[in-house]
Amino acid sequence: MKNVSLTKQEMNFRLKSNPEYGQASFAGLISLALAVLLLWNAYSPADGSFKAVGLGAGIAFGLFGLLQLAVWYLIRTNLIRHAAIGKATRGLGFLLLPSLFTGNVFVASTAFHLVKKKKYAAYTLAVYSFMTTVLVFGVTALNLFKPYVANGFLSGMTLLLIAGFIQLIALLLIAKYGGEAVIPRWMAIVAIALLATAATGNLFSLFLSLMLFAKLRNRGFTSGSRFGDVFERLSRSSTSMLGLLFVTFLLTLSITSLITFDYGLAIDNNYSAILQSPTAEYPLGTDNYGRDLFSRIVFGARISLIVGFLTTLIPLLIGGLLGALSGYYGKRTDNLIMRALDVLYAVPAILLAIAIIAAFGAGTVNLIIALSVSSIPTYARTMRANVLQVSTLEYVQAARAFGSNDWIILFKHILPNSVAPMIVQSTLTIGSAVISTSSLSFLGLGVEPHIPEWGNILKLGSAYLETHSFTAIYPGLAIILLVLSFNFLGDGLRDALDPKLD
Amino acid sequence: MTGHVASRKNGIADGMASLYRKMLLHPSYRFLLLVLGAPLTILLYLLHRHRLTKGGYRTITEAISKELLQSGLRDELLQEAREQISRKHIFFGKKTGKEELEKEASALADTRFNARAREQLARKLEEADSPRLSFADTYHDFISHPGYFALSLVIGFPMYLLMALYANPYLKYIAERLVMTVFVILGVAVLVFTILYVSPMNPAANLLGETATAEQIAAFNAVYGLDQPYLVQLWQSIKGIITFDLGKSFVGNELVATAISNKFPITLTLSVVATLIAVVIALPIGIISATRPNSFFDYTFMFIALLGLSIPNFWQGLIFILNFSIKLPWFPATYNPNNWMSAVMPIVVLGTGFTAAVARMTRSSTLEVIHEDYITTAKAKGLRNGQVLWKHAIGNALIPIITVIGLMFGGMLGGAAVTEKVFNISGIGSYIVDRQFIPDIPAIMGGVVYVAITISIVNVIVDLLYAFFDPRIRSKMKQY
Repeated sequence: MKNVSLTKQEMNFRLKSNPEYGQASFAGLISLALAVLLLWNAYSPADGSFKAVGLGAGIAFGLFGLLQLAVWYLIRTNLIRHAAIGKATRGLGFLLLPSLFTGNVFVASTAFHLVKKKKYAAYTLAVYSFMTTVLVFGVTALNLFKPYVANGFLSGMTLLLIAGFIQLIALLLIAKYGGEAVIPRWMAIVAIALLATAATGNLFSLFLSLMLFAKLRNRGFTSGSRFGDVFERLSRSSTSMLGLLFVTFLLTLSITSLITFDYGLAIDNNYSAILQSPTAEYPLGTDNYGRDLFSRIVFGARISLIVGFLTTLIPLLIGGLLGALSGYYGKRTDNLIMRALDVLYAVPAILLAIAIIAAFGAGTVNLIIALSVSSIPTYARTMRANVLQVSTLEYVQAARAFGSNDWIILFKHILPNSVAPMIVQSTLTIGSAVISTSSLSFLGLGVEPHIPEWGNILKLGSAYLETHSFTAIYPGLAIILLVLSFNFLGDGLRDALDPKLD
Repeated sequence: MTGHVASRKNGIADGMASLYRKMLLHPSYRFLLLVLGAPLTILLYLLHRHRLTKGGYRTITEAISKELLQSGLRDELLQEAREQISRKHIFFGKKTGKEELEKEASALADTRFNARAREQLARKLEEADSPRLSFADTYHDFISHPGYFALSLVIGFPMYLLMALYANPYLKYIAERLVMTVFVILGVAVLVFTILYVSPMNPAANLLGETATAEQIAAFNAVYGLDQPYLVQLWQSIKGIITFDLGKSFVGNELVATAISNKFPITLTLSVVATLIAVVIALPIGIISATRPNSFFDYTFMFIALLGLSIPNFWQGLIFILNFSIKLPWFPATYNPNNWMSAVMPIVVLGTGFTAAVARMTRSSTLEVIHEDYITTAKAKGLRNGQVLWKHAIGNALIPIITVIGLMFGGMLGGAAVTEKVFNISGIGSYIVDRQFIPDIPAIMGGVVYVAITISIVNVIVDLLYAFFDPRIRSKMKQY
């Protein structure tokens, strides 16, 4: 049975060209690393005992990680012997699926990939939209341990349950029918239902439903849109999908927390529960005013996302427009705009933001303005370079020869073809915007101190670094995860939108 | 034109004249040239006018245009233009009034008529063997005479300095870059001052407290010149920045320039050391990752690099203090200039994001370069991998890396405020942050502008390094 003539190169090719192989080792190693981290955290060296929750989570991660590595070994032998993954090995994926309920998205997403032989973007999106809802449901359910819950908790949880159910059904249907070029007409109902679940903030549902609508309208006449192509490529990169998963998870949590979380727990002082260590009631402990850190971090996500989004959108629009005008009109316009922006560019972003905040006072609105102004030149430069490149193309000359006016050429012909690098740029800089926001809040120059923003939480926590370090560690982890997710997503988008691949 | 013939033998005068001619084509250089050599320019202008009249160019030109007008060429051209334009409008389905059409047609006809006239003039001059005389020609003829040349050297000395600068491509590039930097820095000063000037904050009221009377506030404003009009204050600030005399700060009554010169070196030293260490670590990692793409090493290090990019400085600083100062007493938690151990953690924190960015850039740019055709050629020649990498790939891969290093250094210097606050370093960043609550206008202004100046100088150096590393840029510089 064994193919002895297989050279090392052939073997390497078989292994490297198989997406499941790489994903399996990645998921296995990450879960084991997280298991070690969880166990190390749960261990208290004073009396040699483990905290129950940490121990349970650590063991669950460890077990699934080991199982995943076993599956990885099977995949490896399968590939070396038969150059394909066997049915039995794919079946093992079903054994790994329950890892989703322990919160292990790495193993779960790998398992979803393993059980399906023929993969396509719609399937991946369906998987991730379902996973998002399950995670949000699980995190929201932690509120059950609290003495009281928000008024809308039950109805919110019911809605989440319904959304999850719809997404599960959609996942099964798409697994069965979604791969064909022409999908059945009744899939429109699924698409509409998914669009409704996207109201929770689930971006995966939104994209999936758009994709289904596009497919239904297209009916196999064309080879697909550019949007579909990009998603097809993006869905192949598991790191960027995991990044998008965390962003979507936070977005959904921020939206659903409007009814499922009690804002009072995050802002009202409770002097009977000051600086509590993590327990079931307070999953991440409490701060020096007895406020629940878990709720504070959940509400902080909303502010981080809003500020991050706005400080990316505003310079994207202003800088994009200036760059486009500069690149299109050239000569004097170009000189004037770019020299003015050079001045802005010469001051480091954080310093300019500090100067603006010094002049107009600290506050969320001023913070957004300050951070937006300082990143206008970067966007303008990117846009200018794109426009310069695109305006030399033949179709632009054709439009000009045909007598179209400048604005129509610019907005209809040039801009749509030069946005791709801008999208990548904005995804990559949204992460640094999140960091800048929390840094300025940490310095006391950002969001007002009474608002539970991640930087503010960290600033309060840093005073208790010695005695209650968790108050500073958890908000920092939230910032890192969000920024890391945006960076992964940006990297993936850059690869997906890379014109060199076309 | 006897001077013309004579000058053919004079090498120096030829070279100078061609340089002069080239510089006249460039609007800003033309301006500088004519202004710097003002006495010479006036002299040359008079001479030029005289020669034009003597040569009779004006009369010839007038005669030609009169002749052409009489031949009915202008009407012919007008008719042609009218037809063309109306055909164009019909094609595009545009509706325009008669007057507008007439205006457009006569403009078009004028251009064509003038072109025709110039053509005729050139032909006529050619027949007479006397090409049209330009201002540069006058200059050429003038300096062909050694005595006049010496005279021009004396009265137009600054102009010759400019010409020397222009003649050397590197010097010219550096000079242009420096002039640009000066303008940018002036712009920064105006921008920062304007932001602080339009601020609704009232430093006097903030400092003197709520009980301050209107007279006290007015006295404070008078002492610090805050009651002066915008332009006067702006001029004072800019003058202060150039002369390193920004006056006294609102708080503590200390000289701002002294305070900044005490604090700035601390930040600068930490940043430079962090940069050097980061580059030393990041370059090998990036290069090894690029030579073994998609290996375990590559994935691990690029993951760590992305993690490094995502960690906020202040959080990393806090975690370091927690682990290496509180739990394990390895390093002191606060910075002390006399103890180098206390600088380790701030440098590592400052350098983390930097290392990550440079490593990522090194990897991607090296990957891009080693897929170029000339690398394949080098391999096909039979060079060893090491030789190909070090001799052919790295040099070219370094160019975008230098850009990133320059950009990141600026970001690091500007963003140092956060790290300085965490480790309690009295650097320029924390100085600005401490003063912003009032706001202490001279202190903030000085801090921000001096940091911007440093960064601009670093950027100039980066631009010059390009020329050093990349022969393509060097040759491009020579051409333009």
